[in-house]
Amino acid sequence: MAVKKYPHFHYDNCVSCGICVQACPVGAIDLTRRGKSGKYKNNFPEIVNDRCIGCSMCATSCPMDCINMTADYEG
Amino acid sequence: MISCMGKVLRVDLTTGTTTVEKIPDEVYEAVLSGKGLGAWYLYKNIPAGADPLGPDNILGFCSGALTGTGAMMTGRWTVVCKSPLTGGWGDANCGGYLSPAIKQCGYDAIFFSGISDKPVYLYCDNKKAELRDASEYWGVDAVDAENMLREAHSGGKIPRIAVIGRAGENLSLISGICNEGGRIAARSGVGAVMGSKKLKAIVLAGSKPIKCADHAKVKALSKELGRKIHKISVPKGLGGSLAIGGIGMGKSPVTLPLDGSLTPMLFKEWGTPSNTPMAVMSGDGPLKNWGVGTPEGGGLKMALAYNPEKINKIEEVKYHCYSCPLGCGGRLDLSDIASTEFYDTHKPEYETLQAFGPLAMNSDLNSVLHINELLNRAGMDSISAGNTVCWAIECYENGILTKEQTDGLELTWGNYEAEIALVNKMINRDGFGNDLADGVKRASEKYGGKEFAMHVGGQEPGMHDTRNDPQLAIHMAAEPAPGKHTIGMSIQYGAMSLCDICSWAPPATMHSKGEDLEPTDTMAYISKANACYSMLFDGIGGCYYAEMMGVHMYKTVDFINAAAGWDYDGDHYMEIGARIQTIRQMFNVKHGYAPADVKLPKRMLGKPPLSSGPLKNVTLKTEEQIALHWKAFGWDEKTGEPLPETVESLGIGKLMEV
Ligand code: SF4
Ligand code: SF4
Ligand code: SF4
Repeated sequence: MAVKKYPHFHYDNCVSCGICVQACPVGAIDLTRRGKSGKYKNNFPEIVNDRCIGCSMCATSCPMDCINMTADYEG
Repeated sequence: MISCMGKVLRVDLTTGTTTVEKIPDEVYEAVLSGKGLGAWYLYKNIPAGADPLGPDNILGFCSGALTGTGAMMTGRWTVVCKSPLTGGWGDANCGGYLSPAIKQCGYDAIFFSGISDKPVYLYCDNKKAELRDASEYWGVDAVDAENMLREAHSGGKIPRIAVIGRAGENLSLISGICNEGGRIAARSGVGAVMGSKKLKAIVLAGSKPIKCADHAKVKALSKELGRKIHKISVPKGLGGSLAIGGIGMGKSPVTLPLDGSLTPMLFKEWGTPSNTPMAVMSGDGPLKNWGVGTPEGGGLKMALAYNPEKINKIEEVKYHCYSCPLGCGGRLDLSDIASTEFYDTHKPEYETLQAFGPLAMNSDLNSVLHINELLNRAGMDSISAGNTVCWAIECYENGILTKEQTDGLELTWGNYEAEIALVNKMINRDGFGNDLADGVKRASEKYGGKEFAMHVGGQEPGMHDTRNDPQLAIHMAAEPAPGKHTIGMSIQYGAMSLCDICSWAPPATMHSKGEDLEPTDTMAYISKANACYSMLFDGIGGCYYAEMMGVHMYKTVDFINAAAGWDYDGDHYMEIGARIQTIRQMFNVKHGYAPADVKLPKRMLGKPPLSSGPLKNVTLKTEEQIALHWKAFGWDEKTGEPLPETVESLGIGKLMEV
């Protein structure tokens, strides 16, 4: 059986553009993780419910290559 | 065009029916999507003489040709309609997340005609588009109604929502349409058109894919831009020095082209509030209802009252529109400010700060933060409302309005409590506020004080002083939707390097300020180029601040070619801009709106000139320059009507038969 993969975010290069959030067809991620981008306070994407279907659309859409699909669930 | 959906949704609110219309590819080739598609559709489909608040007016929500392709900073949506404020072409632009959501429902735009007999909202996803009862949301402010609607449609794709507040419901002619907790497509009275149709909101939850010809190339361009912006960081605490920069700009005898990379620095650190202290000192920001120069306008004390560091201190988190790495917005925490009942608000834009701050001689920042949230929730345009309130203050100070007429309000300069009370009255159409809720032109027609009524063709001007920028004066007066400050400015032109993508765009040079006061063909081609580039951006869904970064930082031509699979040059795209602008003007002519009748108020022309400050003794020759601007567009120099040969050479006649 194929292992379901989930998005794993690398926030170092994330610019909080929300492209991944809007790409998600099921509303599984949102910009709700408060963090810092350099000295600036920003919202970053994270998994917010159990709806992820592992489609990887978030990962392909990210222009900054911040998202890997991995077998570990980090929500 | 591969990056567009090729379809629009037409909703007839009178019959409650929805129809999907296919849009032929030649339309996208000619005008892209966004404002271009909207201009094409409205010119064809709104009958001449239609009542802006009647069933024949069409209200369009347009996405952008690049929105959703992965191209950064293309998440803006444009609302189009016949404006009830001016009687001519109307549009308003906004960020947030609505723009990609329109496309993900399968459309490039959604057009509403007719009038519903009861409040409704449109719900749209991959499978359906239907009108639903909105009675429980009618009367609820824009922020709360959006939250309620999001909650009611949770459980799947995050719904993106545009909604009107009380101002739109009350048919205030200075109302707009909100999304994302009070970000507002504010101008042209678009909110009143939505209210007149009894359309409370649109709720979009589609997830259809948006195509892109060369995703890898678009991604590479975005990554390059994202990396540059990601690295930017301004040392803390420099906000106070912005006022000093403003003094320098005001005193300088020359106009200096600035580097486009300054835009992301200023806006990442402070957002548009970075401009307030500069504007107060440089002459860019109008003061005391456009009536005085810097010293009488409060000088350095006023500038420092709006030091953006004060705003940064209460900024909880940055706010980014969809696809934007810059994030010029922010959410502010108001919980420690005793004088407001609101807990938070979007960071006010410079426009709002200036219009209710220095324009009203008000140095109390907290009061403006409160007004900002009041207006965002009501869905009322802060530029129009601010100019209108300042007219009332000046009339009151000059005995044109009595305390009886103002319902007991002491409308004196700097009296922010009276300002807040008046804004509340305008939002609720209460007493004296009812007469101000339709903007300053109508208020001054009723009460007098026309010399203090700052409007251009019925629309109140943005917060940039035309006497400081003769190029801006052209756009404010001769733009098909007059009074707007986002079509072109010399500071913007200087930063963009348009001559590097467009063969006929003059280079921006260092030159004496006095030179700009004399009408020239060079200036005409500058204002034309600026307007064309602005139209191009509204066609792709691009942000104004990406424009301001200049063509070397934001590679517009490369982005469009990669997303569309085209291989055109900048001249081709600038011609698309000229086509969009010409159709907007043709819309005006069709509806009996005479461009040549639109005049700037005397104050904006420096008649009489100011007696102090950086703009001392400046008088503009805007009318002569407008004739040259129209000529550069191939429009009649005297009437501003597009000439038949121009319409022909731009292929607009054929396009309207498609
Ligand atoms: S993998 Fe698919 S479902 Fe899961 S978060 Fe990403 S886009 Fe959403
Ligand atoms: S698309 Fe990438 S850069 Fe943008 S918010 Fe998502 S993870 Fe961050
Ligand atoms: S720069 Fe500001 S207004 Fe423009 S897209 Fe980014 S956040 Fe929105």
